[in-house]
Amino acid sequence: MKKKAILLNVKDNVATALADLEKGESVNVSLDSISVDAVLREDIEFGHKYALRDIAKGEEILKYSLPIGKALADIRAGEWVHVHNCRSERFGFHRQKYGLNA
Amino acid sequence: MGYLRPDGQIGIRNKVSIIYTTDCSRVVAQKLQTLFPVGTQVFGYPGGCALREGPFHKIVALGTHSSSAAALVVGLGCEGTDAYMVADEINKSGRSVEAIKINEQGGDLGTIEKGSRILVKLIQHASTAERAKMTPADLIVGQECGGSDATSGLASNPITGVAADLLIEAGGTYMHAEAVELLGCADILAKRAVNEQVAREVKELIEEAERRCFERGRFSWGYGNIMGGLTSIEEKSYGCLSKSGTRPLQGVLRRYALPPGKGYYLQVGEPESGFFHGDPEGINQFAAHCAHIGLFTTGCGATTGGLIPVIKIIANPRRMQLIADHADFDATPVIRGEKTIQEMGEELYAEILAVAAGKLTKSEIFGHYEA
Repeated sequence: MKKKAILLNVKDNVATALADLEKGESVNVSLDSISVDAVLREDIEFGHKYALRDIAKGEEILKYSLPIGKALADIRAGEWVHVHNCRSERFGFHRQKYGLNA
Repeated sequence: MGYLRPDGQIGIRNKVSIIYTTDCSRVVAQKLQTLFPVGTQVFGYPGGCALREGPFHKIVALGTHSSSAAALVVGLGCEGTDAYMVADEINKSGRSVEAIKINEQGGDLGTIEKGSRILVKLIQHASTAERAKMTPADLIVGQECGGSDATSGLASNPITGVAADLLIEAGGTYMHAEAVELLGCADILAKRAVNEQVAREVKELIEEAERRCFERGRFSWGYGNIMGGLTSIEEKSYGCLSKSGTRPLQGVLRRYALPPGKGYYLQVGEPESGFFHGDPEGINQFAAHCAHIGLFTTGCGATTGGLIPVIKIIANPRRMQLIADHADFDATPVIRGEKTIQEMGEELYAEILAVAAGKLTKSEIFGHYEA
């Protein structure tokens, strides 16, 4: 079965879309013995991430098993994870710099 | 079967190197290569008017590369990068090498005549090179990424990481470079280091790269990355780091020479260029560290090669259609959700072994020996 998203490491709490996915879609990702289903709460574009499970404000977002930033607010499974709700302390440049409204 | 060199190295290709030591002798060197195109390669140091340690060592390293059977060094005669000096250094490896100077041969024509006769001798000599069995443990591979896009961190780089692990497990050696693309990776690489000294070195290297970026207020990061889905510089860096596999970091390579042992290394580019370079240059720096093969992952697609065979890996389906002629490894099945990274990593490893055994890459077939 063709995968619509990719899980890069079993420790990750996000997966990345391999195509433009739609709100309401059911997506499964698997790696080794891990298999995670999620229903998307928003549209997720190719290359963008969605949460595999609920993530608490302040919790680390893990991709490649490593922290890419911290959650700026509570994130529910299936929600889009990006600059509006995830920021790195070290290299997190303020989102307003990029003119993004989120 | 590889080619056994007097210094014990085993090469996967067999070429006579025509080396120019300054811009002024470059034309003659290139003309000689055109006259004798089979089994020769040309490279050199156009800025050779001045004698600089780094570039001098680089052309000596390339002249004593495992695929270089013999060498003809062509100089003008007045430059600091003296042709006889270069030849002497190459000769220490036991290779047959000769040097000629344009201002001793009465100009280009005299040099082409004398150089041609030398090449005939060297090319025939190279063709009698002793053969030796090669195993993956003898292989050194360098990985460069260029024109990266979302598919690089999702597919191409992780795939090369799997291949890297397989090569290292088989006793081989693997390297990559570009500390400026590894911002935020200091701690994770230090943890993988084999000892305290290497941990310190890699930390210092990446922290230095970070410092420079903060000072300049410029990072390898922009709106395009964010629109493409990357949320932080760390995410981008980890996508880049995924090319390194999971094996311990043996050391940081600086001086052009054979790596001190087998395994995974981080290579540092030339300080003069601010540690930034174009892609063929990156490949050729790996060659100067004795890499047999270069892996080049690209999102945008590129046609270039380098002095060594380059396996070009593309994962972007749209780009693959446009540049298919130049692609060696189609990584698009991962992006299309049809194959796993692990599966494709194993396929890439098999491709590396095939190229080592003689399969020509597109860069070789198209004559893209950028140097």
